[in-house]
Amino acid sequence: MDISHDALVAFSKSWGLFYLIGLMIGVLIYTFRPSNRGKFNRAKQSVLDQDDKPWT
Amino acid sequence: MILTLTETERQVALAISVAVALCGLALAAAGNQDTMEIHGWLILAFGGICALVVIREIWGPEPPKSRLESYYDEPIKFGIAASMAWAVVAMFVGVWVAALLAFPDLTFDGAWASFGRLRPVHTSGVIFGFGGNALIATSLHVVQRTSRARLPDQLSAWFVLVGYNLFCILAASGYLLGVTQSKEYAEAEWYADIWLVIVWVTYFILYIRTLARRKEPHIYVANWYFMAFILVVAILHSINNLAVPVSLGHAKSYTIWSGVQDAMVQWWYGHNAVAFFLTAGFLGMLYYYLPIRAQRPIFSYRLSILSFWGITFFYMWAGSHHLHYTALPHWVQTLGMTFSVMLLVPSWASAGNALLTLNGAWHRVRDDATLRFMMVAAVFYGISTFEGSFLAIRPVNSLSHYTDWTVGHVHAGALGWVALITFGSLYTLVPSLWKREGMYSPALVEWHFWLSLAGTLVYIFAMWNSGIIQGLMWRTYTEEGTLAYSFLDSLRAMYPYYIARAFGGLLFLIGAVIGAYNMWMTVRAAPAKAPLESDVPLNAAVAAAGRG
Amino acid sequence: MAELFHRKLERTAIGFVLAIIAAASVGGLVEIAPLFTIDETVEEAPDMRLYTPLELAGRNIYVREGCYACHSQMIRTLQDEVERYGPYSLAVESKHDHPMLWGSKRTGPDLARVGGKYSDFWHVAHLTNPRDVVPDSNMPAYPWLARTELRLNDLPLHLKALRAAGVPYTDAMVENAAVDAYDQATPESSTSSGVTERYGEKTQVRVFDDVATQVTEMDALVAYLQVLGRLTDAAYKNTAAPQKPPEPVK
Repeated sequence: MDISHDALVAFSKSWGLFYLIGLMIGVLIYTFRPSNRGKFNRAKQSVLDQDDKPWT
Repeated sequence: MILTLTETERQVALAISVAVALCGLALAAAGNQDTMEIHGWLILAFGGICALVVIREIWGPEPPKSRLESYYDEPIKFGIAASMAWAVVAMFVGVWVAALLAFPDLTFDGAWASFGRLRPVHTSGVIFGFGGNALIATSLHVVQRTSRARLPDQLSAWFVLVGYNLFCILAASGYLLGVTQSKEYAEAEWYADIWLVIVWVTYFILYIRTLARRKEPHIYVANWYFMAFILVVAILHSINNLAVPVSLGHAKSYTIWSGVQDAMVQWWYGHNAVAFFLTAGFLGMLYYYLPIRAQRPIFSYRLSILSFWGITFFYMWAGSHHLHYTALPHWVQTLGMTFSVMLLVPSWASAGNALLTLNGAWHRVRDDATLRFMMVAAVFYGISTFEGSFLAIRPVNSLSHYTDWTVGHVHAGALGWVALITFGSLYTLVPSLWKREGMYSPALVEWHFWLSLAGTLVYIFAMWNSGIIQGLMWRTYTEEGTLAYSFLDSLRAMYPYYIARAFGGLLFLIGAVIGAYNMWMTVRAAPAKAPLESDVPLNAAVAAAGRG
Repeated sequence: MAELFHRKLERTAIGFVLAIIAAASVGGLVEIAPLFTIDETVEEAPDMRLYTPLELAGRNIYVREGCYACHSQMIRTLQDEVERYGPYSLAVESKHDHPMLWGSKRTGPDLARVGGKYSDFWHVAHLTNPRDVVPDSNMPAYPWLARTELRLNDLPLHLKALRAAGVPYTDAMVENAAVDAYDQATPESSTSSGVTERYGEKTQVRVFDDVATQVTEMDALVAYLQVLGRLTDAAYKNTAAPQKPPEPVK
């Protein structure tokens, strides 16, 4: 194999970390975006609805 | 149950059953010198029975169109029954293997009853049989309710559940026959593994199709956990089980992974099976049945999202903490340790979220054993994830690894968290699925709760003690600088704890038997619930009025 | 319009699936990808030999009986373990192990270097009934191993499968697998030199279970146990204080 073990390890360590941070930022934005608040509140309440049949 | 399938579906079901039976016949023929032969006949019988069940009612009337106005719950009922059956069988085997450690001659001189063969029957039986069936059943219940959509067809769910149980039977019976890969929690051999891939892909597609039919724009968070469970288990299973069979007529195969690479793949699989099978899936249960039972919305929806992504990220890195101080490269060990400690954050966020949901409903927790099951499950989830992060720290691991402490930790999670949240969810689900007013006997639920709790506590305290004593004895030196104890000394010290552990397990088993009995009687004998107005499709109500 | 809305919903479910895969796969990739080049970091062990067909058959019995559930084969880099069990395990020592049997629990002791520590006679007695030799043992008894004849005719297929998985068995090894297994446990047979030619002079050729008339599963399992930790001397040479491997007990 052309790629040496050390290079692969270094790549994994650095880019793995960047990727992790990037994804985490994305998740934080999604979670705290004000426009999502209504959606989340609705979801939270909707499981408690009493009706037990699919909507058509 | 066959009558709820459409005519085309019945024909397809028959075709699949016959195909499975023929595969069994082929395996039996190809493997006629090998244990494979027995499995061939077993598959043939299984396919044959399924075919007979279908044929008996294949010409029955087409199900009414009105079926589309209610959720499709028949296969879910089957899943719950299978789950409880596996619970009783596999926990019984668990008590048996626990007893074998203290009384090694309980094997009746049979090869099949030795510890090494029975132990995977216990682990696969509880994880895949009990846990897996419960997960599939509840996930199909939750996805329909939270999407406000019926399953897209009737057959897929049956295929998934019945096919999955064929896998479980092949796995468990194989271990008794000596058919095993000796890869922990992935012992089943290649043909069972291939079958599971087929079943699992169908499950995944069924889930996605149901989600695609949803009438709610937002996907409820419980489904996220179930989705992660289905997806990641598919990835883990197919990579870890890549193997070269000796021949198509041999049950035996050789994994393509070897040595240190195999160790890493194995524990990447093993630890993520804990993460996505035994954690994510059951958190999915928690996020639906806990609010329903407590009649309170989840404390913080945002927190549940954050902890979801936290768990999905972090768990994947943690597997290497099973390999501290081994021939695995040091940096991989450190990485595993670091992420294991970080995992505590999303884990405790989930446990805290569950407990805070109950805040303000403590009187219900006091009075309702079902809700108490879920509360104690959340507490044990918190305890065992803390313990997990702690044990992943390298110096701690040097003491705990290879000892009973690990076994105790696993059971704090498996009994205290996984089993209790399952029982809590099933006690919520059974009366509502079978349209009963409540469980047959609330007193028996109470008994089940206290037996489970007592059993779990006895078990984990016994294992903490034995594990720490064992670890300390192995590393104790005399003043002259020699090892103070022989291995046998440490084994002798274990016997009282092994007996205590078997007793704790027995209490837990009795609880599970009571639970199964109570559910059985609920279905058989509990009074039916007066249906809600909205529960009955309009034309059915008119028809009932007409008959009255 | 309704159709379009439906499509969008479906897309979000798929997008969600992709997000989970992306989040979950990183950890696996980062940790596992470098292990594909790990051969570069694994120690050299030119003297390392492969399992003979008989030892392999024994290993398969070890796998079949689930011995890994109670015995590890991985000595950690801790002082007390090295003193109790011998030099710590090297990655190279399990290079050809499909699967590895490092284990995760020591209800019984570690077996990574058990080869040569006890006599064949002790192993046979111990496996037949552990409590005859170790009164406080809680190991299951395996009396049927000595009664069960070892299946030899499919051993070439086993070696072939392992070769497909990456173990460098030669054509001669594959062809002669059944004969080699038989010969290794019955030294009186005329062709028994073949085993040592193919697997090296140090290969232990003898009657393992005290019954020379047939090759049993007991022969195979004891042959495997007696070779554990003895496929290479690398672990004794590459340490801070190199030492000679101990002489095996006859």
